[in-house]
Amino acid sequence: MKMTLLIARKEFTEMLRDGRFRGAGAIVFTLLAGALLLGWQSHREVSAQHRSAQEATRAQWLQQGKKNPHSAAHYGVYAFKPQVPLSLVDHGTDPYTGVAVWLEAHKQNEFKYRPAQDATAVQRLGELTGATVLQLLVPLLIVLLTFSAFSGERELGTLRQLFSLGVSPAELAAGKALGVAAALGVWLVPAAILGSVAIVAASGGGEVMAAAPRAGWMGLSYLLYFGAFTGVSLAVSAWAPSSRVALMVLLGFWMMNGLVAPRVAADLAKSQSPSPSAFAFAQQMQLALAKGSDGHDPGARAKALETELLKKYNVDRPEALPVNLLGVRLQDSENHGNEVFDESYGALWENFAAQNRIHQRVAWMAPGLAMRSISMGFAGTDFAQHTHFAKAAEEYRRMIQRTMNEELTHRAPKTGAPHLAGPELWNKVAPFAYTAPEAGWVAERQAPALGVVAGWFAGSILLAGWAARRIRVV
Amino acid sequence: MAYHVQNIMLVASGLSKSYAGKVALHPLNLRIEPGEIFCLLGANGAGKTTTINLFLNFIAPTAGKATIGGLDVTKEPLASKRLLAYIPEQVMLYKNLTGLENLEYFTSLAGGRHTASELAGFLDEAGLARADAGKRVGAYSKGMRQKVGIAIAIAKGARALLLDEPTSGLDPKASNEFMATYDLFRAKETGTRVGIMKQGHLMATYTTSELGHSDLERIYLEHMHE
Amino acid sequence: MLLRLMTYEWRNLSADRTPLWIALFLGLTMAYGTWNGSQWVSFQRETIEAARQEERERLEGLRREIPLVEAGERKVSAFTDPRLPSAVGRGPGARYVVMPPYGLGALAVGQSDLYPYYFKVTTGSKQTFLNNDEIENPVHLLTGRFDASFVLLYLFPLVILACSYNLVSAEKEGGTLALALSQPIALPALTMAKLLPRVGLVISMPVLLSLGLMAAGGGDLRAEGAGIRLALWVAITVAYGLFWFALAVAVNAWGRGSATNAMVLAGLWLLFVVLIPSVLNVAVKAAYPVPSRVEMIQAMRVAGDAATRQGAHLLARYLEDHPEMAPAEKGGAPDFGTLQVAVNEATERAVQPVRDRFDAQVAGQQAMVDRFRFLSPAIVAQAAFNDVAGASAGRYSHFLAQADIYHRQWRDYFVPRILRKEKLAAADVDRFPAFAYREEEWGQVAGRLGVALLGLLLPAGLVAGAGWRWLGRYPIAGS
Repeated sequence: MKMTLLIARKEFTEMLRDGRFRGAGAIVFTLLAGALLLGWQSHREVSAQHRSAQEATRAQWLQQGKKNPHSAAHYGVYAFKPQVPLSLVDHGTDPYTGVAVWLEAHKQNEFKYRPAQDATAVQRLGELTGATVLQLLVPLLIVLLTFSAFSGERELGTLRQLFSLGVSPAELAAGKALGVAAALGVWLVPAAILGSVAIVAASGGGEVMAAAPRAGWMGLSYLLYFGAFTGVSLAVSAWAPSSRVALMVLLGFWMMNGLVAPRVAADLAKSQSPSPSAFAFAQQMQLALAKGSDGHDPGARAKALETELLKKYNVDRPEALPVNLLGVRLQDSENHGNEVFDESYGALWENFAAQNRIHQRVAWMAPGLAMRSISMGFAGTDFAQHTHFAKAAEEYRRMIQRTMNEELTHRAPKTGAPHLAGPELWNKVAPFAYTAPEAGWVAERQAPALGVVAGWFAGSILLAGWAARRIRVV
Repeated sequence: MAYHVQNIMLVASGLSKSYAGKVALHPLNLRIEPGEIFCLLGANGAGKTTTINLFLNFIAPTAGKATIGGLDVTKEPLASKRLLAYIPEQVMLYKNLTGLENLEYFTSLAGGRHTASELAGFLDEAGLARADAGKRVGAYSKGMRQKVGIAIAIAKGARALLLDEPTSGLDPKASNEFMATYDLFRAKETGTRVGIMKQGHLMATYTTSELGHSDLERIYLEHMHE
Repeated sequence: MLLRLMTYEWRNLSADRTPLWIALFLGLTMAYGTWNGSQWVSFQRETIEAARQEERERLEGLRREIPLVEAGERKVSAFTDPRLPSAVGRGPGARYVVMPPYGLGALAVGQSDLYPYYFKVTTGSKQTFLNNDEIENPVHLLTGRFDASFVLLYLFPLVILACSYNLVSAEKEGGTLALALSQPIALPALTMAKLLPRVGLVISMPVLLSLGLMAAGGGDLRAEGAGIRLALWVAITVAYGLFWFALAVAVNAWGRGSATNAMVLAGLWLLFVVLIPSVLNVAVKAAYPVPSRVEMIQAMRVAGDAATRQGAHLLARYLEDHPEMAPAEKGGAPDFGTLQVAVNEATERAVQPVRDRFDAQVAGQQAMVDRFRFLSPAIVAQAAFNDVAGASAGRYSHFLAQADIYHRQWRDYFVPRILRKEKLAAADVDRFPAFAYREEEWGQVAGRLGVALLGLLLPAGLVAGAGWRWLGRYPIAGS
């Protein structure tokens, strides 16, 4: 152990004195700090916009004046996706999912306005976020710090000297790993502190409490991931016949892991579990909806409902019913629509979830995929949390519809004369409140990805130890 | 374009080299006449290889100049190289090519064009077994590689030969030679003249025919101990 | 002599099967990428075909329905009456505007997976139909596609660097450099002899593959300007490849060891392909911030509310401006369709400034990217590849402009009929305006690509020139 610490200290000192690594580390730190600051700034702006828009849409709802409840249902409200503080570290899929959804009568709408549509094509080459730096650049830095850890000492002839002094290969490997960790820590610890400050600054009230466990999970996962990269790098450095080969192999692995595997996984997922075109999706949903009444047009289903009601209340004409037929019919059409939406969107989201599960299987070969998923997950910007919000918004829409239709059913005159409701009714609809899921919820969903990262971490330690024991000294 | 220089000489006049203020070679004045074999003796870092590198224009002199057959090597780098052949201590070749292919490649670099049988003849002359000429160089010993190096020199018809630390069985045919070595006995045997170098200085030159073996050893040791 | 030296270099390379591996790697990735791209193209084509099929059936249905309603055989409400232009123009009669994938679309997916390539134009305001996004797993949008353009932008430079990072340094480390340079040959000439076989192999592979795969059914070479565009694709590929080769030579010319060269070149790759684009992306967003679309939603809503509230008033004013559209018979409350016309008009007019601000900001971003793209050949090449394949934002706005004109034509057809309370006959269905996408002028595209080509050749030339000069001072011996 003492030997290990001694080696770690020497490695650390050496790295700190190497201008190249100081430069590379400084660049990574600057980019990370810049990305976090930019993330914090845009988070502040966007979340303020969303908050004020959410208040405005509420005010519009309340101040819509006197109108028929169904008109109000058509008018509807907008739901704006809130930005959780941790999203400043990782935007995840946020640029590619819409920011707002219109909650109106008869329809579960898609989220509209993907921020990426308002950006240039350069965005597709890369976005400077904390996640980019942590997932692409830090592993590269690790590779550059460690590729010559063993092969370089062998080429220099210092390896034989070390072993002649009675250092064990495992101690040497552990010392090198600790040295790298310390060198990385010089840059990453301040960045992490900066990030935490940004997150706290970006959080309002209770958000800090919600963000803390998420940040903890995320930080721990990144540490494991960096550990795995260090282990693999050390193993390759011990195994490779020369530093040059070690560097080539590691750069190849880095590229496959970060660039090629995600694309191949996406293609694989799409071929295994193809998603429908928007056109086919809408058409199929339209077809399913057409089987029910849409509330405006008396169809077969509406007729059946009428007969059923007449029978139930034992009357012979709609005007004699104790309830307003239009209200019942509208709610019936909503109920039917909800079934269709649950099925259609349920199938679509399950389809995406199945695709993402395929990514996680590929992740056993390329842990970067798992890390990306974990990072987005705890940042609250993955697709699972997008649907979590979408479901909450849809629940809210259905609640509005129910409230409006109940008003019609029980209050509207049976004669079909116009019925106007006012602010009391609008106020019956509580403001939309959304609580993002807790860290545990995310952890449960990210379990396979967490398994991959932990597995790679453990595996890489074993691999590094094994490769160090079998190292060729000369 | 051919240079028919009959009596070519290697001349260093005031030739010196320093790296960032550290002198590797103090001003060197040296004349190697046609037909002469000149051996530079000295320990590692005495400046022997620096001198050879200067003649090859691999490094630029800090001051002075080196000429081969009257051509300043820095001003006419390519023409001067046509006149000489260089055999380093370790002849390094492309290990994926055969000895014959290596020879053909390097003579092509020199602009030469030879038939396969001519090339084989050069390797014969250099003492490489026919059977080995077709094998990949990766399997060659150090001596075999050196023989290919000699064959390259022969093929080129070099008029001057620069040898850096030659160790074994070299018998190249060139009009004059410049040899850097730490081997006293070889210097005495093969050289017509020896020079002793130390810390970048050419301490003294002697004609070997005038010296007995023990003389050379004594002189050498004297210089080393100063 | 150069030719003879090159054959040796080739033989040297072939000895450990380097050319085979390079050919295999680039061949497989290019073929896979192009196949992937063509899958996306056929997906779009099938979707477009399905939409057109649906449109044909829907219009056929209208032609069938109108006589039935006219004959009184079918009862309909004012919302679904197939004779009412207000009802028909809002949906049942609507036609699709379509931007079909370009003939070379299989080469690059580009931005085409982000922007809608078809939508249904109605009498409603633009914002009701403009956001017809294709369904895609957002994780996949984030990842990007494995298409030919990905292979060329990311992997192709890596292959180039992998086979030339130790071009000169390996000879120095192997000890052959001194022997080679003791021959009467200068280092730049020797480097050239070593470089050319690599350039020939690595650059010709993707060029031949692009041409081959496009000719072999991956693309439609009869598409307008396809020949020129494909030629420019090849030219851009060659220029991009030359840049990376030049970079490798320049780094080698510094005289560092192979491991250092590899590190430096990996760093430069990262700089040009990842870092400069990300930083430019950030800079562009900071210089021309596009506010969240949330703001536009609010503006639309406010404008819509205001217009609805004063619908009758708006209509009166509208008719004052357009007296020729006034209904023949006076009197009676304006119907829903008529009011809607005025409300739509007013909403659109009120939202237009907000929309223009968004467009101006995005255009500002694009202009800034166009100016600063020359900082990184990867950005230049990416934009150029998207342009060739017809997957650029430029082509999308070209399409939007046409769709805009068509939307006006659509309204010009329906609005007067709505206001005059005319009824449509079955034969009118065939007179609805139709849309046909006009491809961008090839000259315009070629002009943009020409600039891109210069933007690649110039830095390649500069770097190569610097490398050439440094090679002259290469430390052949010593430090």
